[in-house]
Amino acid sequence: MISDSITNASASAAPSARDMGKKKRQTNRAAKLKQSKLGLRREQWLSQVAMINKGDKEETGPNRKTGIEKVVHRDLPVEKLDGQRGEEEAHHHESFIESLSNSPNSILSGINSIPNFCSGSSSGSGGSCSGNITEDEDAADDGCLDDWEAFADALAADEQKKHDKENPPEEQSASLRDSLSGSNVAVRDVKPMSRKQKSNQAWRADDKLRPQGLPNLGKQRSFPVMNLHFSSAAVPSSCPICYEDLDLTDSNFLPCPCGFRLCLFCHKTICDGDGRCPGCRKPYEKNTVKVETSVQNGGLTIRLARSSSMFCRS
Amino acid sequence: MAAVNGYQGNTPAETTPAATGSKQPAPPAKTVDSQSVLKRLQSELMGLMMGGDPGISAFPEEDNIFCWKGTITGSNDTVFEGTEYRLSLAFSNDYPFKPPKVKFETCCFHPNVDLYGNICLDILQDKWSSAYDVRTILLSIQSLLGEPNISSPLNNQAAQLWSNQEEYRKMVEKLYKPLNP
Repeated sequence: MISDSITNASASAAPSARDMGKKKRQTNRAAKLKQSKLGLRREQWLSQVAMINKGDKEETGPNRKTGIEKVVHRDLPVEKLDGQRGEEEAHHHESFIESLSNSPNSILSGINSIPNFCSGSSSGSGGSCSGNITEDEDAADDGCLDDWEAFADALAADEQKKHDKENPPEEQSASLRDSLSGSNVAVRDVKPMSRKQKSNQAWRADDKLRPQGLPNLGKQRSFPVMNLHFSSAAVPSSCPICYEDLDLTDSNFLPCPCGFRLCLFCHKTICDGDGRCPGCRKPYEKNTVKVETSVQNGGLTIRLARSSSMFCRS
Repeated sequence: MAAVNGYQGNTPAETTPAATGSKQPAPPAKTVDSQSVLKRLQSELMGLMMGGDPGISAFPEEDNIFCWKGTITGSNDTVFEGTEYRLSLAFSNDYPFKPPKVKFETCCFHPNVDLYGNICLDILQDKWSSAYDVRTILLSIQSLLGEPNISSPLNNQAAQLWSNQEEYRKMVEKLYKPLNP
């Protein structure tokens, strides 16, 4: 299985490298369009990460899949620019893609599989950037082979037929082995493969997948941890005072050591009145409104900061 | 009262699932307050009807959700066994941050209930918490029937008689007027 897919993937790689010159002009304009698209998606993704309300649990299986697809799509813009050979833009793009692929890492750190995907993608896309080579080696060391296998599987279907005849499989798998060990040349060999993929189907799939896939990752990686953390305290789903649903900020809000939870609005109302906790009747301690969690993503930090500024007035 | 009646017009809409969403755009703060009281009272009513606590019941009076009628039955093994009492609950726009005004409408011979039906119960006054609701109020009053606070009576005669449970039971039966004669 592994050797098969490696052969397939590499088989598709080298020939498309030869085609690169022909597609240069076509991809030139598209690359700019996609650059702006990417910018929009990045904003969208960032805002969605910030707004995630509930950590819906999903199985790891689907997630793994989206991770793979995301890797493919991340490669795309850089591939295009490589075809262009536009140096400044390439650098700009490079850093942009880096930020895209790195930001999930920083947020979702601690989970091995996803960072592997990300580093796999940057190794694939970073052929022209020497800084990526070390990262590439890391990825290869800690099980990147699995990613490549899945990567190759995804590509094999439509690539195999076209290019199998032109390239002797032994030579290709050899080059792929090189790429896995961090060789810059080999990485460049693999690159065009994803570019080819992109021109067939990637962007349409990307339009659909990118906005969903990224936020889902954020949800999965950051929130189940918190949910586990809270579930022991049995967070109610609605405020016991006003019966409105508790949102994420409310359910992270623990104003009293007795553990009685309520929404921010009711807390404010009570603080404007006698200021006693409905659960234990003890006065709320001013200025020690605590938020029960070590904040795990940037969006949450902002929301909490905003809400706690609300208490300060009371 | 006029304002209260005005909000009643919203009551049917509030019971629909869209109520939460339609609540947001309401501009004046006071309307939002009343809306949240409405939501709370409607949720409580729903809970009471679904919960089926034995011995207590409550329902809004006619079409005014801010005025409820409740009934409690005397617990078994107390002098109030087999009796049923009607109460009125009047909610303000501050509910649940302020307790409702609760009174016996049925004459109740009890150390902590005066001749007018006023109830001396700490949770209806200084010990009120917004975490209480109609259900817990009625349950508290029900348990107050069997466990009066003799040290601060509103009805001195009842407080003195409490020590003699047989005589007390006779008095309860004598003064009790069934709800639906």
